[in-house]
Amino acid sequence: MSEEEITGRSAREDILGRLKEIPKTVVEPRPDMPPLRELSLDREQMITTFIEKLTLEEGIVYRVQDGREAIARLTEIVVGEGLQKVMVSTDDVVASLDLPAWGKEQGIAVLTPRDSGDRDSFRDAVFDEVEAGITGADYAVAESGTLVIVHDADQPRLISLAPIMHIALVSVERIVPTYERAIEELYGDTKNIPSHVTFITGPSMTADIKGKPFKGMHGPRRLMVILIG
Amino acid sequence: MEIRTTLFNEIAEKEIRNPYARAFLKAMPAAIAARRKTVMGSFPDPDAAQACGQAIRAEVVAWLPELLEEFEKNALARGAKILWARDAGEANEMVLAIAKERNVTYVTKGKSMVTEEIGLNDALAESGIEPFETDLGEFIAQQLKRPPFHIVGPAINVPVEEVCDLFMEKAGMEKPTTDPVELGYAARLFLRDKFHHVALGVTGVNMAVAETGTIINLENEGNIRFNKSSPRTQVSIMSLEKVVPTMEDAMHLTRLLSRNCTGQAISAYVSMDSGPKKPGEIDGPEELFIIIVDNGRSEIYADSVAREALRCIRCGGCLNICPVYAKIGGYPYGWAYSGPMGQVLTPLLLGLDRTQDLYRACTLCGSCREVCPAGVDHPSMFLYYRSKDVEEDRGLRGKKRPWKESRFFDLWSRAVTHSALWNLGFRLARPLVNRYSHSGVITRMGGYFEGWFRTRNLPAIAKETFHERWKRLRRETAPGGQNGRKGKP
Amino acid sequence: MKIASLFIPCIVDLFLPEIGEATVQVLRRLGVDPLYHKAQTCCGQPAMNAGYRDQAKKAAKHFIDVFGDDDVIVSPSGSCVYMVKHHYPELLSDEPVWLQRAEEVSKRIFELSQYIVDILGIEELGASFNGAVTYHESCHILRGLGVSDQPKRLIQKADGVKFVSLPLADMCCGFGGEFAETYDYISEEMVKEKVGCYLESGADLLVLCEPGCLLNIGGYLSRNHPEKKALHIANFLAGTGGVG
Repeated sequence: MSEEEITGRSAREDILGRLKEIPKTVVEPRPDMPPLRELSLDREQMITTFIEKLTLEEGIVYRVQDGREAIARLTEIVVGEGLQKVMVSTDDVVASLDLPAWGKEQGIAVLTPRDSGDRDSFRDAVFDEVEAGITGADYAVAESGTLVIVHDADQPRLISLAPIMHIALVSVERIVPTYERAIEELYGDTKNIPSHVTFITGPSMTADIKGKPFKGMHGPRRLMVILIG
Repeated sequence: MEIRTTLFNEIAEKEIRNPYARAFLKAMPAAIAARRKTVMGSFPDPDAAQACGQAIRAEVVAWLPELLEEFEKNALARGAKILWARDAGEANEMVLAIAKERNVTYVTKGKSMVTEEIGLNDALAESGIEPFETDLGEFIAQQLKRPPFHIVGPAINVPVEEVCDLFMEKAGMEKPTTDPVELGYAARLFLRDKFHHVALGVTGVNMAVAETGTIINLENEGNIRFNKSSPRTQVSIMSLEKVVPTMEDAMHLTRLLSRNCTGQAISAYVSMDSGPKKPGEIDGPEELFIIIVDNGRSEIYADSVAREALRCIRCGGCLNICPVYAKIGGYPYGWAYSGPMGQVLTPLLLGLDRTQDLYRACTLCGSCREVCPAGVDHPSMFLYYRSKDVEEDRGLRGKKRPWKESRFFDLWSRAVTHSALWNLGFRLARPLVNRYSHSGVITRMGGYFEGWFRTRNLPAIAKETFHERWKRLRRETAPGGQNGRKGKP
Repeated sequence: MKIASLFIPCIVDLFLPEIGEATVQVLRRLGVDPLYHKAQTCCGQPAMNAGYRDQAKKAAKHFIDVFGDDDVIVSPSGSCVYMVKHHYPELLSDEPVWLQRAEEVSKRIFELSQYIVDILGIEELGASFNGAVTYHESCHILRGLGVSDQPKRLIQKADGVKFVSLPLADMCCGFGGEFAETYDYISEEMVKEKVGCYLESGADLLVLCEPGCLLNIGGYLSRNHPEKKALHIANFLAGTGGVG
């Protein structure tokens, strides 16, 4: 298999060449569209909308005042569910709560990605060992109850995906009305674009067998969000 | 994937009598259509929102090469590797080469219609690399060796007993069950093990954003996210028309796609890749290959009518609303693409000669056109293909019409321009047709019209057609009317 | 004295001339003098739908010659009006003189209920029916011409009528011209479902504006539910009998 065949360079010229041969047609200007209703919501309304929408998708949302209350609520959840071992990311929100220390107090094993060392061990941990993943979120979008998570070295992808439960912590200051608000900030600087971003709106689900819907197909079966502030 | 487009009638006649298929088709599409209407209401002006989506897709078609170049440039800048494939063979060879170089023994795949179009699974299997479909419905369809029944629910018509047997045989399920939830969880365990150890994940692409070089996928299950997170190598395959201009455009289309597909405001997960993982990140692909597949589209592009097919964003809105699809389900369309959008695209990719029924089995009701967020005018496309058959168009592989039909329309066109001939024709036809009638009703007739009379009657041709009655009607009491005056408002 | 030129399509001419008669009666009742050009033949839809564009073009040019000088053309068939408005300009796009004439004719042709309500501004015309009436939204009329309110208002304003909505009113009845013959096994399932909705609605009468749909639905009723009736809006307004 030649390099050229593998990279398909001549295919590129072929394809683009054929497309470019065709004379351009005039395209109508885009029609006007009234702005989305969510854009006129104030912060409290956005929070209410966010909670309402995510709850409809069977996400569970807790509202707490501050970091201290967040820890208390987290403890309730984890102890209530009988969780023994969790994986946490090391993004700002989570880091500020010092969950490894909290874990020691509670007798819960709190792993961070770095504890695992290499990617395969990390992968083994999130797939087989931990019962929940705890992450922060970068934005909470009111229009559909959607979390926006930017993945980087402090925010691995699998923590919010592989464990059966995902607990997300997000400050109310990160709430935005629509997706575009988050996108503008994330993709505005073309020199510095995140490698991976996920929008999460509720637990994993399917209705592929007989049309019967259920949660937890491949991703988490339960999604809990702690809104701080 | 086997092409069975010439078996449309055979498969459709079987499916239309299949109680499982009919039960699902009766309920789901209508339910989704109703949800769609409600959720489109989240836009202050749903019609404007739809028109905006249509305008974006018009731009994509008009500027296709430039947008693809921009996408490539920006994706390369992010560290992605971009490959171009002229046809299915080239695309499959590329995937195989990537897999073999990395000693991959199996791949996990997210739902991707273009990979069905190019027959990727067969190519992989033939080379000893096992492909696992990981979308639950696709997994079931793949294991049963069936084509997808519906864009959203590829195996939603399969009886639970069959799924149970299948999972016990092929998915390591130990205890039999017909509970859909338990079956789902059994599949989850089986596929989870595959995700855990996979070295190469394959995905499709919902949108490729030119502005940033980002690929975007929508899903509810999470299997695509696994394919983008667990393996060291990710291969994402897109057909040309998946490109969109900006991230903002992508957000708008995400809303429209979700609403049309399943009646959701947004799917449970949307994932966006701009290049492979960055250094320091502990998961995600070290290499991201994006394969851009042509497979006949750049040729279609030269035809100013046919190229409109490239607007389609694969939302499935047209399937959910089509009254014909609601009777026959996805199988009769015979290939990777079903429903009205399949009727538009498949003839262009495979040739009109092998896809005759796809654009003829349609009442031109226009429901598809009405909901389409991309602005595809399906009925116009079908009429265009039908005219290309009559013209025996070589490019689209139009198929010559039966001699009797051509002759009929030649005679017809002579009569239609000469009313005396036209009316004479009716007068001659009347006794011939009416010999089948009793008491003004025809209950049976042979030949071409036989099908009508299986369940319907027809009035006999009137003893006095309207044309023949006019003389008398004209003379009847009319308020101050006179003959020969031209119609005025 | 208002004058309206009648376009009576082949299905009406041959099989359902009572629709044409009723159209004449209704127009006269509303003070409109109907005019009928005997040279008219066909709008060309059958040829267009079968892909025979050259032949359809011939029909289009003949139509334009026949109706070209009329200020108003009215037809009891929405699909024919759609053919003229939507497809004639497309068929004649490469012949500027004909295109202009086609565009002129497009502006002046109306489906019957559209003409009565939108142009004449009349909704009550002394029609009556004692019982529950429902309405089937034909594809070319609803989605092609955007006509839906007009016939419903005419029905609702008739004396003694209780208007009930038809489940899945805008779902295609399965006629589709040639489709009913070439894909009969699908067509019959569609008309069966449509009739099922009619029965479910509890209406005593089904009214519609499209002769093709009437042949289809009426033909199925005649065979399977002869006690249930379907009527064209012209006959409904004129108070005269019809198919079904």
